[in-house]
Amino acid sequence: MTRPEPRSDPSVQNSAKQKKPRWLAAVAVLCFTLPIMLRGESPDSTGPSLPSVHIPSDVAWTPATIQQASSGDAFRGLLIARRCEHCHGAEGFSAEPLIPNLAGMDRLSVWKQLEDFRSGKRPSRMMQPIASELSERNSADVAAYFSMLPTSPDPQDNRAFPQPMSDPAKARLAEKLIVFGDGHRGIPPCQACHGPVGYLKGAPPLAPQNGDYLLTQLKHFSDGSRANDINVVMRSIARQLTDEEKTAVSEYYGAGRGPAAGTPHPAGVPTPQ
Amino acid sequence: MRQKLGFALSIMLVGCIILGTRYYEIDLPLWHFLRGGKELDPTSLHLAGEFVESNLGTAENPDGSFTVRMIAQQYVFVPQCVLVPAGVPIRFRMTSADVPHSINVSGTNDFLKVMPGTVSEATFAFATPGEFDVPCNEFCGAGHFAMRAHLKVVPQSQLADLRGDERRSCDSP
Repeated sequence: MTRPEPRSDPSVQNSAKQKKPRWLAAVAVLCFTLPIMLRGESPDSTGPSLPSVHIPSDVAWTPATIQQASSGDAFRGLLIARRCEHCHGAEGFSAEPLIPNLAGMDRLSVWKQLEDFRSGKRPSRMMQPIASELSERNSADVAAYFSMLPTSPDPQDNRAFPQPMSDPAKARLAEKLIVFGDGHRGIPPCQACHGPVGYLKGAPPLAPQNGDYLLTQLKHFSDGSRANDINVVMRSIARQLTDEEKTAVSEYYGAGRGPAAGTPHPAGVPTPQ
Repeated sequence: MRQKLGFALSIMLVGCIILGTRYYEIDLPLWHFLRGGKELDPTSLHLAGEFVESNLGTAENPDGSFTVRMIAQQYVFVPQCVLVPAGVPIRFRMTSADVPHSINVSGTNDFLKVMPGTVSEATFAFATPGEFDVPCNEFCGAGHFAMRAHLKVVPQSQLADLRGDERRSCDSP
């Protein structure tokens, strides 16, 4: 890169060389300042005064987070998950009805819940110390492992799915909510986010979940004692559900009659926005 | 002569449609973009900024006007039930957390398209108290048909005690 120095006639050469950069610089300055100038006149953004801020979860589904949460190694996860099996069952099916089954759980949901336990956004005396021992990579590995476990039928606790439901009226009510929701009250169908019709990020598949656990969580969402759902999704829905509907839906999923029962689901595959 | 007139009219009509489409689909989004609307990250609305969950709902501005902030997302509106005063213009500021949505206050022509990454603004006014369904009007996915907010228009006296840092919706006491 040797540029010949303009020794012969400096005045002519200089003016020709300087003219273009100056013009470009003016355009560049205009390009940068014009949006800022225009933005300056935009109206108030946050409103008069902000009330105290409640942040539901530190997790945001940016591409980097999704990459991190879904890049776990299931074999490492298998070794780490040995300490989970005392409560959550050796194959991800827990015998205790208030403890969730983790078999076939979506990677992103497991990762997010571990993250929220760690940061205290989802308070739990049991899970908080356990989750704070895991690094972010270990959480991703555990999530990868549980997402690979088969969901049904389960030889671990001698349950076979689906089980019959005692009250057919309850089953019909649950089916209606799971498939159609209730538009008049703004309740979307469960299966639109929790599968198998659609999976949203961070929404766990509910098919073989423990009914009692689901009922507790719905109650906690509706009274606000669990508030780690991003943008108040589950809290808004649970608030609209009556007690009868909560029981019906959780019993229906708990009996393994949910629409995703027995079908594998695309666990944690990052979907481009 | 009449044929020529008709031809000219139809050309004008098509031209108007093209110009109108251009205005709504290109110029308005570009205008929003230039005004800095693109600064919102739809995936992290809950972390900071205008649309954190404690800032959603009806707010009273210092000059006495009202602003409603809402998030549209698959497949709920937050807040699900909006409380607004009757008889005054109300500014709606909305954004989406995922895909395009829209709101349409049923029985009126009030319509607002909600896009991720930008703030959509509109001013609506409701003359008398009443209740409205506000369905999502843009197909947004499997739960779209059940995505619906409610709008409760109440006499202005009911919102007289709204403090500056308070946000109100039907759920709040």
